[in-house]
Amino acid sequence: MRTRKGFAILGLATVLAGMSACTATGSSGGDDGGKVTLSVWSWRPEDAATYKQIFAEFHAAHPNITVDFKPYKSTEYNTILSTGLTQAGGPDVMQLRSYGLAQPLIQAGNLVALDGKVTGLANFDPTALDGARGKQDHKVYGVPLEMSTFQIYYNKDIFSKYGVTPPTTWDQMIADAKTLQGKGITPFAAAGKDTWLLPLYDDAFAATRYGGPAFEGKVLGGKAKFTDPDYVAALDVMNQLKPYFPKDQMGLAETDVQTLFATGKAAMIPEGSFALAPMKAINPNLNLGVFNAPPAPGALVSNPLEVGWVDASYGLSAKSKHQKEALELLQWMTTADFGHLVADDLKQVSLIKGVQSADPLLGQMVQDYTAAPTPYLMLVDFRYGTPLGSDLEAAGLQKMLLGQQSASQVAGDIQNGISQWFTP
Amino acid sequence: MKWRKAGWFLLPAFLLYTVFVVYPLVSALADSFWRWQGTARGGFAGMANFTGLFTTFPLNHQLWPAFWHTAVFFVGTMVVQNTFGLLVAVLLTELRWARRFLQTVYTLPYLVGGLVVGYLWSLLLSPSFGPVNATLEAVGLGSFARPWLGDPALALPVVILVNAWQYVGFPVLLFGAALAGLPPEYAEAARVDGANAAQRFFRVTLPLLLPSIGVVSILTFIGSFNTFELVYALEGAQGNQPTGPGGATDVLGLIFYRVAFQEGGVDAIGQSSALAVLLFLFIFGIAVLANRVVRRREATLT
Repeated sequence: MRTRKGFAILGLATVLAGMSACTATGSSGGDDGGKVTLSVWSWRPEDAATYKQIFAEFHAAHPNITVDFKPYKSTEYNTILSTGLTQAGGPDVMQLRSYGLAQPLIQAGNLVALDGKVTGLANFDPTALDGARGKQDHKVYGVPLEMSTFQIYYNKDIFSKYGVTPPTTWDQMIADAKTLQGKGITPFAAAGKDTWLLPLYDDAFAATRYGGPAFEGKVLGGKAKFTDPDYVAALDVMNQLKPYFPKDQMGLAETDVQTLFATGKAAMIPEGSFALAPMKAINPNLNLGVFNAPPAPGALVSNPLEVGWVDASYGLSAKSKHQKEALELLQWMTTADFGHLVADDLKQVSLIKGVQSADPLLGQMVQDYTAAPTPYLMLVDFRYGTPLGSDLEAAGLQKMLLGQQSASQVAGDIQNGISQWFTP
Repeated sequence: MKWRKAGWFLLPAFLLYTVFVVYPLVSALADSFWRWQGTARGGFAGMANFTGLFTTFPLNHQLWPAFWHTAVFFVGTMVVQNTFGLLVAVLLTELRWARRFLQTVYTLPYLVGGLVVGYLWSLLLSPSFGPVNATLEAVGLGSFARPWLGDPALALPVVILVNAWQYVGFPVLLFGAALAGLPPEYAEAARVDGANAAQRFFRVTLPLLLPSIGVVSILTFIGSFNTFELVYALEGAQGNQPTGPGGATDVLGLIFYRVAFQEGGVDAIGQSSALAVLLFLFIFGIAVLANRVVRRREATLT
């Protein structure tokens, strides 16, 4: 009872702060004149130095607000955040996971809805805002920070050495893979120990087979199931590619395959836009290109698709004592200025309309995604209940590649698990 | 007057124990009977969290394999770690020199955290860059090179071996202390009667060691059923997917971790508390039973 009253008071305070913030956004050095330090939490310790510069720019424009950036280890962040938001000493503004993974915080009332309080949300596509949208109240709880795309990188030097070109047809891709294998080079550096990559591999290679966004629409509308022949066939595409994956795939983690690729032992790697920086760190001389897999045999979509999803947003804690200043910071995070800092300094794909990346490779990824997008289906739509769709597909694909399950069994498990909480 | 004084002395320990042991246990028990939305408590759930463990797909398909793997882990550890530990302890008591030094050597990995050990071994066993496979290939045994942690048939045995490598110092120390405490007269008497080394060990030393074997077994049981960090470091834990290649190394501790922290379910607190309560009751029950059996054996010895 007492906590409920507390939430009501907080909610009221939030609304009041929000109203004043609407008039105050953009202006700095208010009459209150009080200096405020905002605590900002993130799961990117590797970006700490960059964020220091970014928030220094914010401080220059808003001299009364100082930002204290506190990164935590990515794998422990969810736990730390969920306790931090309910206790004293928590963050004012914090990085949020996307889609279903943001829901527990939203449903527990830990976050402040930003609709009408951050006018800059208009600078984003509605699909970009879905990443931090409450599944039940459809309100937006976060300012989208960046998105990830997933595609196939190739080593240009190895390709030209063996006279291989980026494939335009599936048959050519398989022929390329055979040529490379004949030269003792692993065609695709695919990991199997970090199972979360497996559903992404399937989307990257076979979204064309099940129909990409069209299938998404059908399955959300209850007109298709994962046990449908097209989805089963798309899962089976991984079996066809298995000969061109490393033979010890199930023993290899993501860092292992990144190293295989960056050191020239593998010619191609299905990876995310987020892997560009780490792979360049292993080998700065890496000469890279990207392409999307040509339509798989029997594909329902006749052009290559690029997988993409919102990765992170910044949200506002309901417990923050500095709602007005926090909203000012969030408003700033919707500006093109901030978007360019994300693209050029953080080297991520910003979602703010009209912001282009200076890195040609990242630029191409954005372009390809805008031209022919397909969702990371299991993350975008099937993480709103447990078991998560991504977990079901990851565990199933691993068993399939180990020869313990067939594609239709995997599909059956996915359908069975998801139908426990998902109603079209 | 005397009792009141004693009370004052007991008070600090009583408070600490209540705050850090009793309260968390009772609160986990209480949490398991309520519905949860993130960290906000909802209505009374009755046994729903408990029955949910056995009826929710895929958890219901993961629980029994994980229980089985944990049991295999316990038996494997008993066989590998504790028999080898006993052997080392016996050999060390016979040793005239370097006994202290070797005891330290065997105990050393015990002092390093399981996460560190797991990480080191996952590097050593890496199929593409690990020295284990590289060594096998260098000496012409390349056909024996395997993805040690990525092969469903090998993953659990490898985990058991690495765990034994880390904890072998524990039976060495305990058995060593027990052996040092045995009166030498028994062995001497047997020797005078003409018993050879094997007979002396199996007929005299081993029966006298039974109480400490019992204690080591119970502690190994508790440790095995709570095992988590080493498997986590070797094989990882993602979402609610069973850990290891094809789920080969999924153990109960990892299921708890996934349900509580990884899966991202809004009812995580209720479900994980229910699992914790069941685990506690099982481990506590077996440990109490086993302890009673050991006590009885001990009584027959004297």
